[in-house]
Amino acid sequence: MKRMRVTHTTGFRYRGEASASYNEARMLPDSRPGQTVLSAHIDTRPSAPQYDYRDYWGTRVTAFEVLSPHGELMLTASSLIEVAPPVHEACALSWPELSDLRVSSVEVVEQLPQSRRTAPPDELVGLARDAVASTSTPCAAAELICARVGAEMSYVQGVTKVDDTAVEAWAARRGVCQDIVHVTLGALRAVGIPARYVSGYLHPNPEAAIGETVVGESHAWVEYFCGSWRGWDPTNLIEVGDRHVYVGHGRDYDDIAPIRGVYAGAEAADTFVRVEITREA
Amino acid sequence: MLSRIAESLFWIGRYLERADGTARILDVQLQLLLEDRWVDEDGACRALLGVMGTTGPEDVWLDRDAVLGILAVNRQHPSSIAYSLHAARENARRAREIVSSELWECLNTTTTRMPRHIASERVHDFFHWVRERTALAVGTYETAMSRDDAYQFFRLGLSLERADMTARLLATRTLTEVSGPSWTTILRSCGAYEAYLRTYRGVSSMRNAAEFLLVDRIFPRSVLFTMNDAVGALTALEPRTDRIGVGDTAVRVLGQAVSTLEYRPVAEIIENLPQMMTDVQRATSAASDDIKARYFPSQVVPTWAGERA
Amino acid sequence: MADLFAGYGASPASGRRTAAFDEMFSDTEGAGLGADGAVLAEARAPYRELYTALGRMTQTELRGRADALANSYLAQGVTFDFAGEERPFPLDAVPRIIPEEEWVDVEAGVKQRVKALEALLADVYGPQSAVRDGVIPAKLIATSAHYHRHAAGIESANGVRVHVAGIDLIRDERGAWRVLEDNLRVPSGVSYIVSNRRVMAQTLPELFVKMAVRPVGEYPYRLLQALRASAPAGIDDPVVVVLTPGVLNSAYYEHTLLARLMGVELVEGRDLYMSGGFVWMRTTGGPTRVDVIYRRIDDEYLDPLQFRADSVLGTPGILTAARLGNVTIANAVGNGVADDKLMYTYIPDLIRYYLGEDPIIPNVDTWRLEDPGALEEVLDRLDELVVKPVDGSGGKGLVVGPAASRKELGALRRKLIEDPRGWIAQPVVQLSTIPTLTEDGMQPRHTDLRPFAVNDGDDVWVLPGGLTRVALPAGQLVVNSSQGGGSKDTWVLGRGDAPTTGPHDVSAITAAQAAPISVLTGAYGGENA
Repeated sequence: MKRMRVTHTTGFRYRGEASASYNEARMLPDSRPGQTVLSAHIDTRPSAPQYDYRDYWGTRVTAFEVLSPHGELMLTASSLIEVAPPVHEACALSWPELSDLRVSSVEVVEQLPQSRRTAPPDELVGLARDAVASTSTPCAAAELICARVGAEMSYVQGVTKVDDTAVEAWAARRGVCQDIVHVTLGALRAVGIPARYVSGYLHPNPEAAIGETVVGESHAWVEYFCGSWRGWDPTNLIEVGDRHVYVGHGRDYDDIAPIRGVYAGAEAADTFVRVEITREA
Repeated sequence: MLSRIAESLFWIGRYLERADGTARILDVQLQLLLEDRWVDEDGACRALLGVMGTTGPEDVWLDRDAVLGILAVNRQHPSSIAYSLHAARENARRAREIVSSELWECLNTTTTRMPRHIASERVHDFFHWVRERTALAVGTYETAMSRDDAYQFFRLGLSLERADMTARLLATRTLTEVSGPSWTTILRSCGAYEAYLRTYRGVSSMRNAAEFLLVDRIFPRSVLFTMNDAVGALTALEPRTDRIGVGDTAVRVLGQAVSTLEYRPVAEIIENLPQMMTDVQRATSAASDDIKARYFPSQVVPTWAGERA
Repeated sequence: MADLFAGYGASPASGRRTAAFDEMFSDTEGAGLGADGAVLAEARAPYRELYTALGRMTQTELRGRADALANSYLAQGVTFDFAGEERPFPLDAVPRIIPEEEWVDVEAGVKQRVKALEALLADVYGPQSAVRDGVIPAKLIATSAHYHRHAAGIESANGVRVHVAGIDLIRDERGAWRVLEDNLRVPSGVSYIVSNRRVMAQTLPELFVKMAVRPVGEYPYRLLQALRASAPAGIDDPVVVVLTPGVLNSAYYEHTLLARLMGVELVEGRDLYMSGGFVWMRTTGGPTRVDVIYRRIDDEYLDPLQFRADSVLGTPGILTAARLGNVTIANAVGNGVADDKLMYTYIPDLIRYYLGEDPIIPNVDTWRLEDPGALEEVLDRLDELVVKPVDGSGGKGLVVGPAASRKELGALRRKLIEDPRGWIAQPVVQLSTIPTLTEDGMQPRHTDLRPFAVNDGDDVWVLPGGLTRVALPAGQLVVNSSQGGGSKDTWVLGRGDAPTTGPHDVSAITAAQAAPISVLTGAYGGENA
């Protein structure tokens, strides 16, 4: 078990002043099996009344509006979470069994269609089919696909943009975790394995000293369905473990962007982000 | 009532009066240019454009036709008659469920019949036509509208614009030392000449004329009358009176301007006519801003932009 | 009499395999018209009075009345834009008549359908038990373009999602009513029912004399009651508004009419703003809280924060306010998942599942292209079927096989193979015909019917009658005003059970708005000529 404190600061710097803005943040983790949230809250500047709700995907959403002119909008999400190492049950779901499950569950079947962001290039589909051919169960195939895609891609910041798609990232074989996850989702879904985008945080150092604050980042990984949802982190080529803090999931990044909003008055907005993670126990 | 609708009515009033006032000023001024061959035409035209709150192209010689092109028929130029009439119609369209069909038809017909060019011999006829159409529109409104808030917003727009237009008209008197329009011409142009003669029993003087157009309490185009009318509309919209002071900033701004005009010796006003008229325009403009802030907050269509991080 | 109906139906469209049911003249077995019009001696019972009344008029006389109808609409601005010219909304002088005993079934069928659709929506955005019980496949919901996940968790105080429904009906070759499509998003056309009735009563009063026609003026009152009933809890006197996209919208006339007859404000998106979790309307007296928004804006434009960020028609944050239970949006967001045409094929099963009843009005037979063997069969018979995109309304994208060229069918074939989820196929149904005054005299023309239903949470009320749309050109297959579609006043006979007058007097309408009417969504109107 690890106890981690995450401080995630992000927001928009407008060019000019925004006369009003309406925003939704998805930055607060929630308690779930293997994860206990001790505290979590968001501060906004300018300060604004907040409305909390859980969206369709079960993610905690903080909605707020700022109706006075503001040049900058800053959010700070602070949370204290205990994460236990996940228990991966052995799973022997067969391909026909997976097919049957899809008929009766919207939650599973809706993670199959490709989105604009995950639509895979042919070469990637080939890679996924090869993985299916060389394994016997969906679970084994999925793990192999995640590992192969992760190995092909290198993690490089600054070469991709927030709106990029799997096609672009795959062509460059580079990207941030968001891109690597979109590529992986594209490959998994191409062979009929339901897979979803997970947003959260990762403590970069497995051997971190207690009390030391490190600069982290918001992270993303995949969950594929083979009887239950299993997490895999293709960026780091590891199974999801007790360094991963789970915030929420969706079909792709667009369902779970940490903050999105609309503003009026300003010409454009630049974003900024900073994540600090401290292991406290 | 809905702010958007109120704002549309306010602007229908303003644009109608602006079209009418612009037609009156141009009619007088362009006539003068024609009569006086020795005047510096370019200079006079630029000064006229200045009074109407705009400027002409720098590198060309401006003449009578150029001014007509800018201030009369150019549909894109915000100071032109064509623009004002079109804008009045567009505002009526947005408030279609409130304005009467009669007014709508009147504004619609006016816009469709608006000429794109005016032959020089038809200039006076054109201005006459504009005055007739705006008078018809205003009359239609006056006779068919209940005296509710919708009416008051229209009246407010109309009276503020009229104060502004009369101030501009008076300012043209001092455009050029030599060739400014005579007081008679100015009085004629706003239909005030006969009323003036009756009032002063034919004793015409510069002082009398200025006095009449500035501070006459019962002539409906005098600056004082129109500003009082605007205050009347504002009071009808918000009849409550505080024990101390005036709550409504627009009423305060207009009230101050009215007092200045009312209590200052007329000679002093005439001496500082350009400055005084600028002050009147400032007051109407400030009042307009206050009205907007109070009754029509953020009525521009916001364009929302999405952003993620 | 000979004059008016001489030559009626004498030149039926060629290639007709089965004749359409003629509502005035066919016998109950649906034998249709003789090619020589021989059956004309006897009108069907419901039309007998009308036939007699019309018989007292010459064609010239009736044409004069028809012109009067058109002029009245032109003056009121009940018009649409046709090639840049303002044309009156076409209203035929011959009404459609539905006898009381027939209406009872139609009314019950529409009610039943709306109740099942309400249950379906509550289920889809809730427990999804119909999926778990195997009535509908998970994929049907998951792949619907109108399954709006943003709408999950938003529920009005009385649970109603379908405040207004327009259920499109047709009558087949035997005269039997069938449902053609459901409209649960922003069904339009009801204003024409109200204005058609008024202008008919003014222009052809003698037709009304011997018949007890149920009035339609109650609609705005019923709608307002339903909207008020769905207001957030604890509001005694809710503020209702009609939200319009603005004057440029083709249904703007309808928006102004409904706002006026309900006595509520007609607002645009920019008149509203969300603050503190509530929706406010900007008025000269300051912000006024809004409790119920009857919106005539599509989901995608309603809230830029949730849907299209570039929408200038909507108001950011209103979905948040709805989620908090502080405002009711009517109809609810995300209803499109239930009027998807693939979902349509499951509605009879869903009526059995949710209500435990057999469907009163059957569907038109429909192929789901994802069923085993269905795609192959449909591709084989493409030239004799009607193929429709599942999420189009108004006849958009619809292909009538017998009327399509080889090239069109080739393109369609590719589309079906590429996206079988996106399409359904139906046999060509001969829509029933009703005598209509055309340039060639009185002629049969194909029609459909859109009854409107209002759900106030306690009961579903069906406006007696509905909008009868008629394909005016002979052989015209799509009923749409931009393609020469018109309308007929629809008369339901009898007294009805409920009191039939509301507090709003229809004669108070001053319908003076000019607005085009391309919103009337179309059924296909018959076969290839």
